[in-house]
Amino acid sequence: MAILLVARGVARSYGRNEALAPTDLELRRGEILAVVGPNGAGKSTLLALLAGALPPTRGAILRGSPPPRIGWAPQRPAQYGHLSARENLELFARLAGLDEPGAAADRALERLALPEGAGRAAHLSVGNQQRLNLALGLLGEPQVLLLDEPTASLDLERRRGLWKTLQDHRARGGAVLLSSHSPEEVARLADRVLVLLDGRVVFEGSPAELENAMPELVGGA
Amino acid sequence: MRRLALLLRKDARRLARSPLLLVALVVYPLLIALLLGLVVRYAGERPRVAFVDRAGLPSTIVIGGERFDLRGLFEDAAEVELVRMSPEEARRQVATGQAVASLTIPRDFTVKLRRLNESPRIVLRTSQSALGTRVVEKMNALTYAINLKLQKAYVDANLGFVDLLKRGGTGTLGETEVTVMGLEQARSELERLADSPDADVAATAKELARFVGQVEGAVDQVGEYLQATANPIQLVSEKERGRTWLLSAQVQAYALGLALAFVAVLLGAALITSEREERTLGRLVQGLVGLAGIVAEKIAFVSLLGASVGLALALVFGAVVEIGGVSGGQPWERLPLLTVGLVLVAASFGAVGVLLGTLARDTSGAMLLALLIGLPVVLVAVVPTGSFPLAGALSAAVPFGHAVDLAAAVLYDSDPWPEALRQAAWLLGLTLAFALLARASAHRLLV
Repeated sequence: MAILLVARGVARSYGRNEALAPTDLELRRGEILAVVGPNGAGKSTLLALLAGALPPTRGAILRGSPPPRIGWAPQRPAQYGHLSARENLELFARLAGLDEPGAAADRALERLALPEGAGRAAHLSVGNQQRLNLALGLLGEPQVLLLDEPTASLDLERRRGLWKTLQDHRARGGAVLLSSHSPEEVARLADRVLVLLDGRVVFEGSPAELENAMPELVGGA
Repeated sequence: MRRLALLLRKDARRLARSPLLLVALVVYPLLIALLLGLVVRYAGERPRVAFVDRAGLPSTIVIGGERFDLRGLFEDAAEVELVRMSPEEARRQVATGQAVASLTIPRDFTVKLRRLNESPRIVLRTSQSALGTRVVEKMNALTYAINLKLQKAYVDANLGFVDLLKRGGTGTLGETEVTVMGLEQARSELERLADSPDADVAATAKELARFVGQVEGAVDQVGEYLQATANPIQLVSEKERGRTWLLSAQVQAYALGLALAFVAVLLGAALITSEREERTLGRLVQGLVGLAGIVAEKIAFVSLLGASVGLALALVFGAVVEIGGVSGGQPWERLPLLTVGLVLVAASFGAVGVLLGTLARDTSGAMLLALLIGLPVVLVAVVPTGSFPLAGALSAAVPFGHAVDLAAAVLYDSDPWPEALRQAAWLLGLTLAFALLARASAHRLLV
């Protein structure tokens, strides 16, 4: 499978605090990679580094040629509160240089069943804000999706809807890297799993291999 | 550029949806501007007085045989700041409030001063400002100080005349050369006549000789009287129609500088920190807009908004001036130049604000930092540099003083270009410096 994204010794520190130790990672076309680990393990930092939203302290992130479009949905919503959901989507579609920003916003609104009204994003419910955050990540059909706990605030129906979306994305040859605290989600979606602990990769393998390794990992933790 | 334009539009929309914030950003600094203007006007170093030298004061003048640096006596006056200019410029500056008064040295001043037979006059014209009385007091003090220096020369010269009258001989009276017999010789001639065989002539001559003797005795005491009454220059004060303090050029320049300082610094800090708080910076730097672009966009937005606010203030000020029929009028033809100046002023303050925002990292911290740093930055520019030399250096390194000087020059200098260009260059340099610092610090927001 073609590699879309490569991390070589990527690390991030905040002062003396090392949030992510040097990490190597490859994300291939047509796969879903799940990153799991307890809170503060470095999952969000890894996703932000891969997204290009955070510069690494060390190491490098290499993108294929031509570089794939990357969609990123951080754990906490990243959008303009004074703009409506549509205005947010249209703005980022224009910034990304999409051909038809209005149509792209329409598709995103429909896909995540977001309210059409002109109400500000800051006034949306927590769930709707999270969905708008996801919609921004999915905007413009990016080849690589980096989703940080995307289903945390979704009800079961929306969660299943998103799972379907991600599986379709994989089937079309796209790649997904998602962080999750849900074993069901990982088991259902992931082709590979990466376990982070205190900023270090302690396991990499299939969900089945992870299940076998769990006693050792839990004991080690 | 297209992406920056999209962000500018987004920020404009944000502000349009917060009208209360916009009103507060304009009204609050205006109130402070008025208060600060008051303080500056009343507690400033020295009132600025236009100095019109119609007499062409010589650097040295001989009075009563003593040399005086007459020009220096005026120009070194500690009481007021005398600024030499033409009569027309003086009239204009008093009318617009750039100078609180004008002091005119009439053409015949030095002639009268040399003649020593009439007190020459200097004419002080004050505006209607609240400072009029204070300036008259200051000018009285200046006149008194100069009088003290001239007094001895006047007295010596007058004593020379008295001595000539007493002893006789040739001397100058004012500018006329005269030869007189003198009291001593007159008395001696009269005493000789008192021996005349004609009894009537002898009696009259004796009487006159006694009188001349009495006059000689009185003349001997003239010196003391002269010392007591010397007061060679009189100050004549006239009231002119000019701007009240509230509408003066200085207050307008300070109002613009201060309003833009607060609007631009606070807004710049708030805009950059809100990107972080909404976590949109990460999305933007994901290949859409770099940190340098974001910093530039914030500064550009603040400069455009600040210039609009400044222009609105200038228009309101001008409308009040026009409606009130205030002398000097508002220089409407300078509005395009003022607009360019305001863009630069707001950009420099905006860059300071963005830098503070990147240092503080959140909006409340940035606001606090902007107030804690912004206020001293403004105040340091109004500290008299003579009393605290470091204030001059600090003032040069921040935009406020340059902003006020630029606004004042653009609005009211008869030839605004030299000063306007100098201050514009300063503001441009400061904008670039603060923008570079902000860019260097902006990575702190990406956490």
